[in-house]
Amino acid sequence: MSLPRAVYAELESVVGSRNISEKEYILAGNRAQTPEIPFPHRSADAIVLPGSTEQVAEIVRICNRHGVRYVGTVSGGIPTAYATEENTILIHFKRMNRILEINEKDRYAVVEPGVRHVQLYPEVRKRGLSYTAAAVGPGGSVLVNIACTGGDHHNQYGSSRPTRYLLGVEMVTPEGEILRTGSLEAGAGWFCPESAGPSLRGVVKGYSGNAGHIGIVTKCAIALDRCKGPAETRSEGVSPHSRIYMDGGCSRVYVFNYSSIQDVGRAMLALGESEVGATVQKYFYLPLSLMMTASANEFWEKWGRFREAFPMPLVVHLAPHSVRELEYEEKILFDVIRETGGVRLPRDLEKWWEEHMDYFMIVSRLQSVLRLGGSWLPIKTGGESVRHLCDIGDSISGFIHDFTDTGKIFDAPQNYQIIPMEYGHFASFELLFMWDRLDPNSFRYMQEFCTVSRETDLKNHAHSMTAGGYGKAGEALGRLYCNCHLWAGRIREAFDPSFTMDA
Amino acid sequence: MSDLNRFRYTMESCNHCGQCKWILPHRMSGWDFAEVCPVHHHFGFDAYSGQGLVNIVREVMEGKLERTDELADMVHTCAACGACDVNCKSVRDMEVLETIYELRHDLAQAGHLPDSCRRMAENVSAGCDPFGVPLAERFSWLPGDFRDDPDSDTVLFAGCSASRDPGPVLAAIRILQAGGVPFRLLREEERCCGGALWRSGQQETAGDLIRGNAEAFRKAGIRTVITVCGECFGAFRSIYPRFVKPGFRTVHISQVAAGLIREGKLAFRQDARPLTVTYHDPCMLGRLSEEYVPWEGEIRSYGLHVPEKHWNRGEFGVYQEPRDVLSALPGITVREMTRRVEESWCCGYWTGQADPECAAATADERMREARSTDAEAIVSCCPFCRTALSGAGDPLPVVDLAELVAGRLA
Ligand SMILES: Cc1cc2nc3c(=O)[nH]c(=O)nc-3n(C[C@H](O)[C@H](O)[C@H](O)COP(=O)(O)OP(=O)(O)OC[C@H]3O[C@@H](n4cnc5c(N)ncnc54)[C@H](O)[C@@H]3O)c2cc1C
Ligand code: SF4
Ligand code: SF4
Repeated sequence: MSLPRAVYAELESVVGSRNISEKEYILAGNRAQTPEIPFPHRSADAIVLPGSTEQVAEIVRICNRHGVRYVGTVSGGIPTAYATEENTILIHFKRMNRILEINEKDRYAVVEPGVRHVQLYPEVRKRGLSYTAAAVGPGGSVLVNIACTGGDHHNQYGSSRPTRYLLGVEMVTPEGEILRTGSLEAGAGWFCPESAGPSLRGVVKGYSGNAGHIGIVTKCAIALDRCKGPAETRSEGVSPHSRIYMDGGCSRVYVFNYSSIQDVGRAMLALGESEVGATVQKYFYLPLSLMMTASANEFWEKWGRFREAFPMPLVVHLAPHSVRELEYEEKILFDVIRETGGVRLPRDLEKWWEEHMDYFMIVSRLQSVLRLGGSWLPIKTGGESVRHLCDIGDSISGFIHDFTDTGKIFDAPQNYQIIPMEYGHFASFELLFMWDRLDPNSFRYMQEFCTVSRETDLKNHAHSMTAGGYGKAGEALGRLYCNCHLWAGRIREAFDPSFTMDA
Repeated sequence: MSDLNRFRYTMESCNHCGQCKWILPHRMSGWDFAEVCPVHHHFGFDAYSGQGLVNIVREVMEGKLERTDELADMVHTCAACGACDVNCKSVRDMEVLETIYELRHDLAQAGHLPDSCRRMAENVSAGCDPFGVPLAERFSWLPGDFRDDPDSDTVLFAGCSASRDPGPVLAAIRILQAGGVPFRLLREEERCCGGALWRSGQQETAGDLIRGNAEAFRKAGIRTVITVCGECFGAFRSIYPRFVKPGFRTVHISQVAAGLIREGKLAFRQDARPLTVTYHDPCMLGRLSEEYVPWEGEIRSYGLHVPEKHWNRGEFGVYQEPRDVLSALPGITVREMTRRVEESWCCGYWTGQADPECAAATADERMREARSTDAEAIVSCCPFCRTALSGAGDPLPVVDLAELVAGRLA
């Protein structure tokens, strides 16, 4: 299907002929099937590359007038960034790529959707500032990650959820109006997410990507933290064996092994009470093993050993501002570890982490989880108390063996992560598993596993979210499980009754 | 015969992560100079990137996308620089560039390739180099009194670009003579290395050249080939093993010079003009120069390659020796660009075969980056880079490393 000529011409008059295309080979670049889903993405009818908020607003108005649907996209890393129906265009933000401001004093940065983590992160770090970047890799959009989709990040122990870092927002509503929220609305600047009246922050963010929220975000401000660790980093080597180091006396990584997740939880809470640590996390060792190896073959050769070496690793990154503070934090850390029964790993394994400080900043290497063919899914994501998430962790071994021992999925019982935030006030959970895309039944197994996982959570009164949970399987389990998606849908319906924004 | 199916695993593994377009974190420096793919930078659509091209190949293979001249022109805007390949391989087991090459091969076999590429093959068939210079005239620039060592088992391979710009080869000759390295030239026996033809998808024509050259080297007892051109170097190392078992080793003049300097065999003037330079890593000397190791086998569940596959990830390109040479030259100060070594930004030469505007934009972008270092000149080791970069708007002087070295010999 192609767009009616008149519609194409109108869009072309907004962005210019260079920045719109409906050629099949251009569309092909954004529609191929990705390994985690068993069908190709639907093709968009055209792709437009707007250069400004005003152009986005014009595009949205044209779409409204002609009943054409639209989807915003940056790297297209997740399946909601694609057309789902005919008569849809992709609005691609490659050209809206400016960092508009980095305010060192008030600690925020204002970005357009096309700005990538690998662009913003070094800019703020140079200024002694930082933010928690998602594991999506260097090419992920900062704005999308914080304002539109994305959940929790790996290093937010001493900080908080990305959603809370969203400040002033400029967006184009489904009517094509330009809306400014937070302190921006009063013309006071970008620094605050709230203004008079009900908070719009949650509405902007919605549930996930366009599944819930109600417009195209064209600019947003994100809050910045003081740098955890030295502002200067050093790198060595050539990819894939390159290293990033945080030199300086007060940045250090420790890894401890535990025999029970409940003890890990106790350590997390005890450290939180003392407000010690930049990163504290129970890490999943399957991704770790992938990050530590350079090919699938090397992974398979070493996987058994890694599994043994890291049965239940607690990773701690201390990055205070002075050496004296480090001594103090280290003392508390060792006391807590002693009291909770942790065992420090050999230095060479800790050193591996220290030599991959990339992980504590921009987390690009975690893309290696896709190395085993790319069929993967993180499930049980969401926030709960540390204690409750430890119970969820404990429950996994009760159902996972039916899937792993029969080869239906690839995972290991303790391969999940718990990331406490705000010094242990709450935490996020992620169970990351893989399936064999060469096996024609694998997608079904994946779905079965998600269902069993969800049922187990329901029995344990846990609210962590398993992907697909807001779809058919979630409904089968009953609305008591979660009805937030229904509310999000209603909000969207109120603002975008003709659903021109694809969802 | 082309066989897109060989790269099915790569095509089916791409999850659109975008790592093929953005600099890897160990080289990140800020907002600017963060892109690594010249065509994505220029056109903006994802189709113009490793990700997009891999997706296009898949649709061609599955019969969803038609093979056309227009598609071939689009595919040939890609500089085949390999930045996407290195970046993808930093976290994945995929062959992005090989897949793009195979698409070119497939399209060429179906009769679709840009005229400029077709002309290269026609010129070679007509007894010329790919740029139309008759073999007999290839060495017309050689001084009449030049004497080489006809018994040497080392050949200085001049390359096709020498007929347009003999400076780098003449400089290489001076370096070898100053260092006491015996060598010979093949003169009218020298034919095109075949690299450009192979990379343009005309792999059968390239194969004939490659087999012919390898045989000629064998008959002449050549054990070492010294190249001055990054493209020739990359071709001998990464393309020849696809057709022949090369009985010779290939070294680049920058490696020879670095060795001679280490051994104290080159002496330099101490009074040479101070110059601040930045070094541009040519793709075929750097990330694309690792020796090709053929692999045939099975890819089993979860990416297990049986038998184990050797991966070329751009880790072992020639990066250090040119830098060693520069730092040994009196008066030379080196300032590095953000996009360097395996993350180098391409000069854009081969983009020009299909889209001169994109080539100019690519060269302009490199020049902008070079200027950001406050360098007075940009040094490279490949005549194609020199041609492309000199074509940038308001260029800095583009100096060939061999010329810089020769010009400062005592
Ligand atoms: C390997 C991997 C690891 C990941 N790890 C994490 C993690 O640890 N933490 C985490 O939070 N996330 C993680 N993610 C998910 C990640 O957050 C998202 O994929 C990413 O942030 C989206 O950025 P993108 O550039 O890929 O956006 P896209 O995939 O292009 O878009 C994502 C969604 O946002 C919508 N959208 C795009 N632009 C706009 C706009 N301007 N306005 C409104 N809607 C828009 C799209 O339609 C789509 O629905 C991971 C993803 C991958 C592939
Ligand atoms: S080609 Fe590789 S790096 Fe590029 S999007 Fe696909 S998987 Fe990612
Ligand atoms: S080879 Fe170079 S120009 Fe071609 S898609 Fe890859 S990075 Fe872009």
